[in-house]
Amino acid sequence: MQNAICLLFVLLALPPFAAPSRAGETPETLLIRQALANDISGYRRADTELALKAYHPHFVAYQGHANGDPRAWTVLHENRDAFASQLAEDLSAQRYEVTRTVPFIAVRATHAIATSVDSGRVVDRQTSKATPVVIHRFWTFLKEEDDWLATGMVADLGDTLLPAAGTPANGEIAELLQRESQAWEAGSGILGFFDANFTGYEALGAFKPASYKIAFSGSEELEKWLDKRLPYVQYDLDRKVLHTAIGPNGDEALAVTHEKVAVEHVKGPAKHHKERYVFWTLSRRSGSWKVTNMVFDLGLELSD
Amino acid sequence: MIAKRLTCLLLLGLSACSTTEEQVVELLEQMAANPVDSPAYQQSIDELAAIGRPAARQLIARLNPDLYLGENYREFRDEQEKLRIGCARALGHIKPRGATAALKDRITTAYTDRERIACLWAMGQVGYVQAGVDAAKVQLDDEDPIIRIHAAIALLKMDDELGTSEIEAALASSDPELAQAALQGLEESGYFGVPLLVELSGRAGPHQAALRSVIAKVKDQLVAQLEAEEPVHRQRAAQALGYIGDEGAAAALADLLEDPSNQVRFSTAAALATMGRSQGIEFLFEALRNTDSILRANAVKFLTNVQQQSGAVEAQLIAALGDEDPLSRAGAAQVLGQARVQSALSALLAATADEVADVRANAAIALGHIGGDQSRAQLEKLRHDSDATVSYYAEWALGQLGSS
Repeated sequence: MQNAICLLFVLLALPPFAAPSRAGETPETLLIRQALANDISGYRRADTELALKAYHPHFVAYQGHANGDPRAWTVLHENRDAFASQLAEDLSAQRYEVTRTVPFIAVRATHAIATSVDSGRVVDRQTSKATPVVIHRFWTFLKEEDDWLATGMVADLGDTLLPAAGTPANGEIAELLQRESQAWEAGSGILGFFDANFTGYEALGAFKPASYKIAFSGSEELEKWLDKRLPYVQYDLDRKVLHTAIGPNGDEALAVTHEKVAVEHVKGPAKHHKERYVFWTLSRRSGSWKVTNMVFDLGLELSD
Repeated sequence: MIAKRLTCLLLLGLSACSTTEEQVVELLEQMAANPVDSPAYQQSIDELAAIGRPAARQLIARLNPDLYLGENYREFRDEQEKLRIGCARALGHIKPRGATAALKDRITTAYTDRERIACLWAMGQVGYVQAGVDAAKVQLDDEDPIIRIHAAIALLKMDDELGTSEIEAALASSDPELAQAALQGLEESGYFGVPLLVELSGRAGPHQAALRSVIAKVKDQLVAQLEAEEPVHRQRAAQALGYIGDEGAAAALADLLEDPSNQVRFSTAAALATMGRSQGIEFLFEALRNTDSILRANAVKFLTNVQQQSGAVEAQLIAALGDEDPLSRAGAAQVLGQARVQSALSALLAATADEVADVRANAAIALGHIGGDQSRAQLEKLRHDSDATVSYYAEWALGQLGSS
């Protein structure tokens, strides 16, 4: 009897839908898996509160339109409340019989990214009509105190590059991005364009988030780099804004740019240069637009 | 007062650390700002090498691609390449053992050829580390012959001969880049490359003059190394000079016959003996008569090497079988057997009748090593020797001859 009680306690202590442990796991990746497990449990149990436990108040959702090319992406929900309303609506209308795998997690200090694949079926509560689903998502996380909270999510992320025309650039965003590029050329005032919790990524010429490396975990790290870098190099940036999308309330935005970036060194004649695609997310929650995410070197050539 | 002084010392130490770090940072920026192999680029490498071990930690860190994130971010791959090549080259001059772990991870196809070559070169310069040897061996299967030749040279510098055929192939090929890499590598390999160099220079081929020129340069390096602080370098240099056999090195070698290290003295004597120099031969035969068994064992080992390498002591060894000193007769029999000197057969047969059992036993062993039916009858007699050791080895030697 005593053994049975002990076993019960152990089972209760186990996280719901706990993922099996994997090689290379760290305490941080386990906590992120737990956050994502809570989210999907919330969907399965139609428990909005449980699902929302893992979401940051500044959470933003983007719509990927089944395309790996961010020139097709738009802003879906600009904050957690907007997302929560939609979630409550979805959960009352549909039953989610889905399981989640988390194939990729990368952590740098207090910032992390992950991808998830939800598969199963969604059942309409009124008609009982079941629709099979496979949903790919890309997540960004921020660690606050001991909790990893989702700050962003690209829903319906595509795993291939489909045609993407890009939306004509919004004047305000385009102008901001041009001013940012001028700051690089001037070698000052760059940091003012970035949110304190900014994350910078290196995509290494690929487009899938699973290939991203987090290059900057917060603007403080960016500042340290700028302090080291700018005394030795002069930047030259020729930026073209290819696509922008702004949320319904005009508080969140995303953009894709193509740019020629070059540096000249102070200590010698070498010049380094390249062309790159950059994906940006921006937010106006602090009053003025700030860059919240910046993905360098996206490999988007296939869909050109 | 003491606390104050300690604080001052600590502050001085800290400021010195920070100065070195800053100096390294400045030199790395100079490296990034100049084309590979330009004078300014090379200057940055030379100055980092001059800083030496205090710079090694920062240089090793820059081999790792994960370093180029965060505050050390570099967005240009060719800028990272420049730093990786330059840091590897500087580490190759500094030679910190701990660098191999980072270097070996940068010799795979995930890196550019220039990065791989620089890291292979640096691994060779650092010297033997088992993980480095294992990693370089894998690169011997690379499809690019230029990577293979650099892997082979790195292995040679780590005292591993697995890549020898690759070096031979490079020198036999019509590709000047491969031949140049092989020649330069052999020159840099110092005493490790000497046996192969000597062998290759004795063969017909398109690079004989270049090989002879490399041998001359290596010989000069080796003569300088005879004064190295580490006994192992003096020993290996003496050995290699013996291989080269250039009489010009004899005077420098003769000085080492008084070296405090046994191994250095014996290697030197063997080198001189290989050249046919009496000082070396006398030294080794003297040791053969020594009552110290360790010195005698060394004499046998080195005389065997000399005989196998040059045949320079054959006559003296056969004559020594008639020496007054039984230690000398027993030792000579040992060497003649181990070096399988056929011409000593009749002298060894005569030695089986020696009055000293130890000489008879060693003569029996030598006859077993040399083989041939002529010694069968004498060994059959020795099976009934009054000394149990002699009869035991006569039995063993007969076993070596096989059935009649």
